[in-house]
Amino acid sequence: MTLLEAILLTVITASTPLLIAAIGELVVERAGVLNLGVEGMMIMGAAAGIAAAITTGNSAFGVLAAVLAGMALAAVFAFLTLGLATNQVAAGLALSIFGLGLSGVVGAPFVGVQRAGIGRIEIPLLSEIPFLGPVFFAQDPFVYASFALVVGVSWFLWRSKAGLVLRACGENHASAHALGYPVLRIRFLAILFGGACAGLAGAYLSLVYTPFWTSGMTGGRGWIALAIVVFASWLPWRAAIGAYLFGGITILQLHAQGAGVPVPSQLLSALPYLITILVLVLIMRLRRGGAAGPAALGTPFVPDR
Amino acid sequence: MTLSRRSLMAGAGALAGVSALTGPAVAQGGPLNVGFILIGPVGDFGWSTMHDQGRRRMLEVLGNRVTATQVESVAPPDFDRVATQLVRTGSRLIFTTSFSYFAPTQRIAPQHPNVMWESATGTATGPNLAIYNARFYEGRYVQGVIAARKSRSKTIGYVASFPVPEVIHAINTVMRGAWSVDPQMRIRVVWVNAWFNPGREADAARALMDQGCDVICQHTDSPAPLQLAEQRGNVFGFGQASDMTRFAPRAHLTSSVNNWGDYYAERARAVLEGNWRPADTWGGLGSGMFRLAPFTNMTPEEASEAARIRDALASGALHPFDGPIVRQDGQTVIPAGQRLTDDQIRAMNYFYQGIDVAMP
Repeated sequence: MTLLEAILLTVITASTPLLIAAIGELVVERAGVLNLGVEGMMIMGAAAGIAAAITTGNSAFGVLAAVLAGMALAAVFAFLTLGLATNQVAAGLALSIFGLGLSGVVGAPFVGVQRAGIGRIEIPLLSEIPFLGPVFFAQDPFVYASFALVVGVSWFLWRSKAGLVLRACGENHASAHALGYPVLRIRFLAILFGGACAGLAGAYLSLVYTPFWTSGMTGGRGWIALAIVVFASWLPWRAAIGAYLFGGITILQLHAQGAGVPVPSQLLSALPYLITILVLVLIMRLRRGGAAGPAALGTPFVPDR
Repeated sequence: MTLSRRSLMAGAGALAGVSALTGPAVAQGGPLNVGFILIGPVGDFGWSTMHDQGRRRMLEVLGNRVTATQVESVAPPDFDRVATQLVRTGSRLIFTTSFSYFAPTQRIAPQHPNVMWESATGTATGPNLAIYNARFYEGRYVQGVIAARKSRSKTIGYVASFPVPEVIHAINTVMRGAWSVDPQMRIRVVWVNAWFNPGREADAARALMDQGCDVICQHTDSPAPLQLAEQRGNVFGFGQASDMTRFAPRAHLTSSVNNWGDYYAERARAVLEGNWRPADTWGGLGSGMFRLAPFTNMTPEEASEAARIRDALASGALHPFDGPIVRQDGQTVIPAGQRLTDDQIRAMNYFYQGIDVAMP
């Protein structure tokens, strides 16, 4: 394996949890809900995932538990913001803090337990393509899931009627309601999907990336996923670019340091964030201002009858 | 009693009221309350875990004469609030267990002259401020010797946290140990700018391995780099702060195992008996403040060589900071026959000649 292949492999594994969580949040925001609790749902997924995987001895149950844990936390958020029409920003922040704390409690009995991570699956034929094969088709199942999510969500949002209705809820919930669409139910399902994705991303961290539990192990990746959604201007394929750009710069700066490139490491570490800001500025310039996001993003909806 | 920072903050208002009414008398009547402020989670398997075990050991030794309040995962910006809160709730001896807390501890100590402060890895004492540390560089020297024996690519990878003297002199000492076996040894360094971030530590270790490093030293607290070495195979690593053998049964060589408990017990007893003095304690392998975990995945010859070096360091027969010491830029720090003072070691901000890594 060449160094370039090795770097690309690492970039993909570093980007995958960001991509999965960002795609989930993208759907939520397209439905007009801003859920800032991605970090909390993600780390709950990580905790529940490894807890279930260790208890049952089966990684598949771990993944399932992670998805359910993410959805459970998302349901709490949905109850607050849809049921009680509370402020979404406050509820989302609370969810993040709550998730970080609760995950510590859930994970406590599993501190220091060692288990093997989920391995790679090589896709026959495709994995033998020179260069592209080992990079894209000899990965762990989560990477394939992230590819499928990008394609699936993209198709759903722009090629299916349900996707159109979901986007309508995010653009103008009053009109969608007037047309007879169940805005709250659609938003609820979108929030659950976002929770499932965040949970899955968490499972990736605790079952594949660094297969053990420590509290706070998400290390702010949930917040980066949120930034990627904005970076992507709410388009799935751009979210993929954003996630890979972010993961890529993170990994490349480590390689640059190892190779002795004489740039301050603090600056290199800050580079992904600087580039995100730069791209945001560029996008807004090209757009000449104006909101890029769904028009009803973050506004609570209370049906009038 | 272990509190999270948040629950401590939540109780802050109520407790502040109580201490305003009763004043310092709260602390003087009952047992001595000892405060601990930890930089990472207790479950990091490394630095913070070992301070937590030190606290347990102190409670075990002194029984009901002491109680302890511990706050974990305190980010440096939160330090002042947490420390003030510990003082208000009656802690009379407070251990601040990270270099990142040293400057804030130095600032806050004069404001609370009745409280004894102890800063781990600090660099200066005060009227009510003691500092304590272990000479971890002795373990680093042994790591260098072992790495030079194990490495086939002759390149050591170093997952470093922050460019502070503690880490810089460790990197220098690893190479000194390695060069004592093979002067051709090289090192690559990646700074992750965190003491604890498993994902980033693993990414850094991955990058180093991809660049051909086959022995990984880490100056961060999670077992992630070591675990990655295990997954890769043919790569070795060293555990940090606690015995990390179980994380990498086939890749682990040895670990530095910190032992703060006896020191904590001794210092708390000094406060109880009224003879606490601000001291500068820097204990080496000989003092028991840390030890090396059993050597694993080494041939009997390699293990006995490592043991011999370890014992020479413990007895003082071998000293890693003997001259000549020449900086990267060719400037001589001390000639042969001299030895760096502790203050010079603690202020080290340069790499040795022969290390072709730029200081960040």
